[in-house]
Formats: sequence, structure tokens, C-alpha cells
Amino acid sequence: MFEEDQETLAAEYVLGTLSAEEREHAEALRSFDPEFDAAVKQWERRLGELNVMVEAVEPPAEVWDKIKGEISAEMPAEAEAAAETESVPDLESPATVDATDFLFAETATTQPDENAGEAAATPANDAAAPPPLAAKRAAGVERGADVVRLRKRVGRWRGFTVAFAAIAALLAAYIAVSKVAPDLLPPQLRAVGANLMARTEPQERGPSDRLVAVLQQTPIAPAFLLTVDTQQRTVVVRRIAAGQENGRSYELWLITGRSAPPKSLGVVGSDEFTQRSLPANVDLETLRSATYAVSLEPAGGSPTGAPTGPVLFTGKAVDSLPSSPTPKT
Amino acid sequence: MLTQAELVELLAEVAKGDSGAFERLYGATRAKLYGVLLRILGRPELADEVMQETYLKVWKSAASFDPAIASPITWMVAIARNRAIDIVRKRGEASIEDEPEALSVAADTPPPLARREMTEELRRLLACLGKLDPEKQRIVLLAYYSGWSREQLARKLDIPANTIKTWLRRSLLEIRGCMGS
Repeated sequence: MFEEDQETLAAEYVLGTLSAEEREHAEALRSFDPEFDAAVKQWERRLGELNVMVEAVEPPAEVWDKIKGEISAEMPAEAEAAAETESVPDLESPATVDATDFLFAETATTQPDENAGEAAATPANDAAAPPPLAAKRAAGVERGADVVRLRKRVGRWRGFTVAFAAIAALLAAYIAVSKVAPDLLPPQLRAVGANLMARTEPQERGPSDRLVAVLQQTPIAPAFLLTVDTQQRTVVVRRIAAGQENGRSYELWLITGRSAPPKSLGVVGSDEFTQRSLPANVDLETLRSATYAVSLEPAGGSPTGAPTGPVLFTGKAVDSLPSSPTPKT
Repeated sequence: MLTQAELVELLAEVAKGDSGAFERLYGATRAKLYGVLLRILGRPELADEVMQETYLKVWKSAASFDPAIASPITWMVAIARNRAIDIVRKRGEASIEDEPEALSVAADTPPPLARREMTEELRRLLACLGKLDPEKQRIVLLAYYSGWSREQLARKLDIPANTIKTWLRRSLLEIRGCMGS
């Protein structure tokens, strides 16, 4: 069962059907569970061939200019040399160049051949039907009426949707401004948006020096609650609904990125609360952005210093209290 | 025309920091990746952004490409889709997909190809997909091409979210069983 859960998680991660939280969980797993990472890569290969059926679309020329610009900024000498010898690769039309794209040269006009009725071609044919039509067909006549009503409602709601999108854009802009230049915002707005950023500088800390993280396997079943005290540099783990270890030990890990190895924060004790010290060389910003995880290890903890057992729970930390507005004087 | 072997070679040169090879790789793959991204993101300005991120990542991590476990194009498409889906999930659903112009792009899966246009691997995958119920096939394909979450699939197809979850799980395990490792 556990193996199947991991397998479907990897498959759904590649397919793209996971929620944002589930994706974070999967990404944390990838970073230090080689078996899970291998499962993801296998699914990328299994499902990846579907890209063959996607129509090629020529991107605007500026896209390449920007990519080239960023790469030249990284390695000026070689990029300049390259710029002299070759310009934009427009002489190579993608329809004639790409090994896989050659399939598309005539896609638009090609009909499936007489073998299309075979099992192999069926999914593609089925897929060609747009969802509303297909949904009607599948759901039968009765539910077909629901679909129609739904579509009408969609039409009426569209005005609201656009308004929501505008609000979302405004919010995004606001968050961007508050992160980059909090001083541009009025003080009463600055407080909320600046929450994360402002408090990364010690002198601007608010009343809360605590970060909390809920570690869970699925979004509805929190297993551990973590409280990170950034002043005392301790972490308190509270067991909420974690299962029994059965002779093994839960071990807590701090994951700071795909490339850095996970740092052990110690074994979780059998009492409701366990307190552990934070490693000295981890700064506040890292504690805020890190992923916290619990793996199941041999009794007493991992013998190697790296997670060896399955990673069962992961989570991110958030501030436990809003910081008070602290306008600069 | 570049073959898969030629793309593998290009990636190996890119891994050594050859920017000329990178430019040829871009020329050979850009339209495919852009097509994939447009379907998921709907909006060209977002697709442009993810194109840049994707190719920068390809530039930086070409050395980690392993021709034994992936083809160049599926590897690059995976990087692009991954990033696109991250963005769609994090922005929330309403801000992107419900805009009229986005709907027209992402609303359906691509037209079928004639059998002779398919790669061997694609034929195998489609044969396995073909063993699923038509409704489950559609869900898998819609998820792949449009980047929809379970919730979006449930809403758009008017099927309970739990049913979608069960179907996806079962379908994916069946596909794995059918295709072997």
C-alpha cells in the first residue's frame, strides 16, 4: 500500500494533478529519496511521449534574446564569441529541424488512417473531443442538461471572474512591491506584506520569534506540529496523530534545497513534546524557507547521518503571529 | 533535420558550456516546448517567462541529462511542464484558466496523429491507455495536456473529486503494469 501511494504520488506529480501543497511534498521527497526521484523520472519517460501530439508553436523572437542575454551575463567571454559566429537560429525552421517535430509538418491536415479503430489510436481519437461534448456523451442525456446549464452559468460568471483576476493581479503587484520596496507602500499596508521580509533582519523583528510548521502526509491528517524558536534556537516537536514507530524511530530533518544534504534535527521522542536544539550554522532566512521532514529510521535514528527510511511527513514553516506594523522612522 | 541522437549530442556539448550548441538546441526544440507551455499556461506572456526559465535550467543542468533514462525532448518537456504547473498551482486557479482566451487554448487535447506519425514509445503508451475506459483515458490526457489539478478535472467534467482521485490512481497503476518498467 505504501509503495503504491508513493508510486501514484510520483505519477500524479508528473501528470500534474497534485495541489500546490502536494507538489511541495513530492518535491521534498525527490530531494532526498532517490527511489522516489527514480519513480518520477520513470513516469516522465512513460508519459513524456504524449508531447509528440502537441502542436508546435513558434515563440516570439524576444524569448531567445532574453535567454541569450542571461547566459551571456553568466559567462561573458564565450557568449560574445558565440554571438559573433552565429546569430538567431532562424534559418532552422522547427518544423523541419526537430527530430520529434517532423511529425507535425502535416498534422493539421492528416486524418487518422484506416487503422484508427484499433486500440492504439482510440485514446487519441477520444481525446480530440472537447470536454463539454465528451462529458455530455459520457454522462448520458440527463446529465447533459446539467452541462448546458453549467455552461450558461459560466457565461454569466465570466464578468466576476475577470474582476477576480484583476484583484489577483493587484495583489500580486502589491506583494511584489512589499517584498522589493516595502517603503513604497503606506504603513498600514506595509505591515502585512512585509511580514516575511522585514523580519528577516534582526533589528526589525516583530513580537513573534516563532515559526510553526505542520508536518503532514496528506493535507487532512496533520501528524506533527513543529514550533521553531528562532531566539532560543530550539525546535519543539509535538506529536498530534503520528502512528506508532513499532520499534523504529521518527527522525526530524531540515531540508534547505535540492543540492544541500538534509540536516538532522534529532530523533523525535516518545512523549507528546520533544525539544531539540537547532544547528548553529543555520540562519533565520534558511529556517523560514526550509522544508521540515520526518522520516522513519532504525531505532535511535539514522546510522548514516542522512535519511535512510521512508520520508513520511513534510511541511514548511510559517510565522506563528503577525508581526506588528513597524514603520521605519 | 535533427535526430534524437543528434539532440543527445547537442545536450552533451551544452553540458560543456558550448553556447553554439545551446543555440542549435533552442532552434530545434523551442516550438515544441512553447506549444506545450501555451496549452498549460494559456497566456503567452507567462509562456514566454517559463520558456526563459526552462532553457536557463537546461543550460545549467544539461550535465545531469542521462540518455539512458530519458529522451532529450521528454527531458526538456518535463522541465517546462513542471515549472508551468508550479506556476499555475501557486497563482491559484481563477487567475489563469478562467480567462476566455486561456480557455480556448487549453480546452481540448490535441488532434490525433496517424499511426505512422507516432513514435514506438507513444504507440506503446497509447495502447496501454486504450485499455482504460474512455472516460478515464480522457481524464489522463486532459490532465497531461492542460495541466489541470484533480479539483479542476472534477469541476470541469462534473465528476466528484473523490471519483477523480480513485480513477487517476487506478488508471496510473494500470498504465504502469501495462507498460512494464
